[in-house]
Amino acid sequence: MTPLLEQFLSEARDFLEGIGEKLMQLEDAPGDAELMTALFRMVHTLKGNSGLFDFPEMTRVLHAGEDLMDAVRHEQVEYSQDLADRLLDAMDFVGMLCDEVEAKGSIGAHHAADSARLAESLRRLIASVDAAAAVVAVVASALPNALTETGIVVAEADLPPLVDIPESIRMDAYRQACGGVDLHWLDYTPAADCFFQGDDPFFQARGTPGFLWGSITVRQPWPALAELDAYRCVLEFHLLTTAPREQLDEYYRYVPDQVRMIPVTPLFLALPQGNRNGGPVAYENFVDKALGLLGANQLEDLVLAASNLIELSSLELWLSSALRWLLLVMELEPENRNAFAKIIESLRRQSPPKWTELLPKVTGGNPPAKTELHLSQHSLTPEEAEVMTKMLDVQREILNLPIQENWQLGRIKAVAATLTGCLMASGDVAARAGLEAATAMALEEAASLPLLAWLDQFQQTRSTASVESLVNQADVGVPVPRNLSEIQSDLSADAVRVSDVDAEAKFGRRAEDAGIGPKSLKVDQQKIDRLMNLIGEMVVSKNALPYLAGRAEDVFGVRDLSREIKAQYTVINRIAEEMQDAIMQVRMMPVSFVFQRFPRLVRDTSRKLGKEVNLVLVGEDTEADKNVIEALGDPLVHIVRNSLDHGFEQPDERRAVGKPVAGTLTIRASQESDRVVIEIQDDGKGIDPDIVKRKAYQKGIIDEATLERISDQDAINLIFAAGLSTVDVISDLSGRGVGMDVVRTAVEKVNGAISLESEIGKGTRIRLSLPLSMAVTHVMLIESAGQTFGIPMDSVLETVRVPCASISSIKQSLVTVLRGNIVPLKSINALLAIAAPPQANSDHELAVLVVRCGNEAVGLLVDDFRETVDIILKPMTGVLADIPVYAGSALMGDGSVLMVLNIKELLP
Amino acid sequence: MSLEFKKNQVHFKDMVGVEDAEELLEWLQKTPAAKVDFSACTHLHPANLQVLMAASPSIMVWPADAAFSAWLQSALDQHEDPY
Repeated sequence: MTPLLEQFLSEARDFLEGIGEKLMQLEDAPGDAELMTALFRMVHTLKGNSGLFDFPEMTRVLHAGEDLMDAVRHEQVEYSQDLADRLLDAMDFVGMLCDEVEAKGSIGAHHAADSARLAESLRRLIASVDAAAAVVAVVASALPNALTETGIVVAEADLPPLVDIPESIRMDAYRQACGGVDLHWLDYTPAADCFFQGDDPFFQARGTPGFLWGSITVRQPWPALAELDAYRCVLEFHLLTTAPREQLDEYYRYVPDQVRMIPVTPLFLALPQGNRNGGPVAYENFVDKALGLLGANQLEDLVLAASNLIELSSLELWLSSALRWLLLVMELEPENRNAFAKIIESLRRQSPPKWTELLPKVTGGNPPAKTELHLSQHSLTPEEAEVMTKMLDVQREILNLPIQENWQLGRIKAVAATLTGCLMASGDVAARAGLEAATAMALEEAASLPLLAWLDQFQQTRSTASVESLVNQADVGVPVPRNLSEIQSDLSADAVRVSDVDAEAKFGRRAEDAGIGPKSLKVDQQKIDRLMNLIGEMVVSKNALPYLAGRAEDVFGVRDLSREIKAQYTVINRIAEEMQDAIMQVRMMPVSFVFQRFPRLVRDTSRKLGKEVNLVLVGEDTEADKNVIEALGDPLVHIVRNSLDHGFEQPDERRAVGKPVAGTLTIRASQESDRVVIEIQDDGKGIDPDIVKRKAYQKGIIDEATLERISDQDAINLIFAAGLSTVDVISDLSGRGVGMDVVRTAVEKVNGAISLESEIGKGTRIRLSLPLSMAVTHVMLIESAGQTFGIPMDSVLETVRVPCASISSIKQSLVTVLRGNIVPLKSINALLAIAAPPQANSDHELAVLVVRCGNEAVGLLVDDFRETVDIILKPMTGVLADIPVYAGSALMGDGSVLMVLNIKELLP
Repeated sequence: MSLEFKKNQVHFKDMVGVEDAEELLEWLQKTPAAKVDFSACTHLHPANLQVLMAASPSIMVWPADAAFSAWLQSALDQHEDPY
């Protein structure tokens, strides 16, 4: 997972939470324009962010949400409870996608359909103010078709025109389906402007996985050629495929709203085709005979009879087609008696078998019903039985409605359809005859009474009979509007079946099951700081244990206890160090947080200056403590601006000296042991030490003598001195003489060091070295004149004991030779104005602590070395703050105060 | 060139792209009894297909690829279902 994606996920969660919160607030104050704007902005940002990744499902929903909020913001759509619900649903969906991305790194294509549905549900609210009414209509019209889930369709008219497919292909498909393959009918209606988006829907359709058969139709009659717009797509593609649903979703994931997938029940393919006229006269007899054979379970004879009849008939006949299907079905589904009977009966009428009547049950989307078209008795779960009871109650209420002439017939039909559906679902075939009779009577009289009577009777038997004789309904809840008045207005007879957008598909993450939270936390920095301070104290107090051990041995003379304390100390020490490390890790941030502002800064600044500069960033993922990273920001900006302003030449100047016209500014971050090193390098004109020297002299920063003998490197370093600017004109970018001096101060404040190298004509390199973390300082303890001092370990080079004889004096200074190098020696007592000579040990050796001071090594004469410790360095405060010799103080484990020396200030 | 026009015949070759649709449309507008040869065609952009569907020229040769041919026939074949 890329850092960008990680950040997106973490932000997305915040946004989702924020959106939820805002929506809640809006419920209390629906008119609050400010809240609305904030909400819009959140959805907008989230959408924009999601667009960075290949998550079409997520972006689609968010886009719809954004459009909706925009409409609300502009008061085109009113805020409503329903709107909030849908938006929350959509956000739940997005949250779920986020979870999936986090878990798997991508979004499964099977969400495309949900995504399209949610997006449509949101957009529908924008469509018009009537939207609300339409929604009720959707729910209501879903009722008669309650048993049809998105895919499987009961009404004949809604069946895909499978008969268009040639018989051989259908038979092949049927065979495959019986072999366990899922069949799907696909309607692909590309957007009218898809050609302009570079789409080739034909190519897309041709490449559909599991492709069996396809056809192309047109949405509207063709206009005259002269008026034809070749680039407005009006085609529709229809396909039959054997690919599993997930694969199809994946394949069409960018256009889920343009694709309708219908699982095909294999038996539905058994549609005889052919010339209905002619054929052997024997076929009338065949039907009776065949049914007889079927009844008597003489299937082999039935096969024989059918085969014989086929031989007698011409191949093109409808009759022989039906017989071929009969044989095929008998071969592949030998158990499915009902299917055989259907085909045989269809022979009598020469009309296709009505497979829908056999439809056994609703399947929950995919996979489609396999071949089990048996009308065996299933049991309803208690919930399903309850739903059915509710449905029946609603039907009763509908029937009891006052008669409205225009609607009455439609109402009766709708109720009859629902009841039929219920019967089919419950497998209660016996009752269907009664229902049909009642329906016919009701239609004839245009009155609800016959149906009501039937319903009464049915419910009576139902309540007495055990509910177990009902079908195993699908797990998708059937939408049952509770409020009848909602239905009343919309239950017009011709309310079209609409696949229900709203009544289903909640996306898991309701308030109660938000069990698995996001994996990253946002924590107030103060809390981390507190933790940091605590671990600091822990480190200090853990350091008290060795003292305790020492006291146990020395004062109380219990050597064993002392050893045990020491053993315990190592354990605590280890844990404390790990804890400290862990907390450090929490505070670590990549330098990219500072670096990310540079591309823009460099671009804008260089453009303003008329220079061409390429920025190269290296090592952006180097990490350091948050405070260090933050402290780095401003100095870096200064340095980069300086580089751009003074460092790089104008393009023509560069061309004249044979450099590439575009300069290169490299910012490189890396880690060196416990420090972060940042180098800013340009290939500009470099710094001329002479100019710096002269400026410094003019400004009175150096005197004449210094001007004469100062080295080039030192001269260049003068630019860090306060008040120096080499440019005469003050621009809005730099030249005020505060730049590099401020940089140095800022860097040193976080214990950093800055160095600069420059070569005229070649460029300048500035190197910042900063500690990874500022919290704990590693110091070495030394003793001198009976006092203990701390020296930061990063300035300690080595500790040596030098025999007094090896120390010689040059003029008034002491020196010694270490491995062939002359090292000047200073007595720490003298430096601190303590009137005591350095003490040698019994071997007449002096303890020399060699420290780094700038680029030189200096030996400090001390009385003795002690151990190194981790301390929390507290800067000096109050009057002591003015004594620069001390870097700060720290509390030791035994309760004493340790003064930590600042080597740079200590050495003149 | 994926389209080759010869008198009242047009030959589709290889992949016929979206940009050819315009030319095809113009040609069909001025060629009333147009005939189409798909024998060397492997794919055509649906914009071309739309033009052909609207103009309904007679198809002389269907593509060699059976599946592709079936697609095109579903769109362009003028024969009515005999039943």
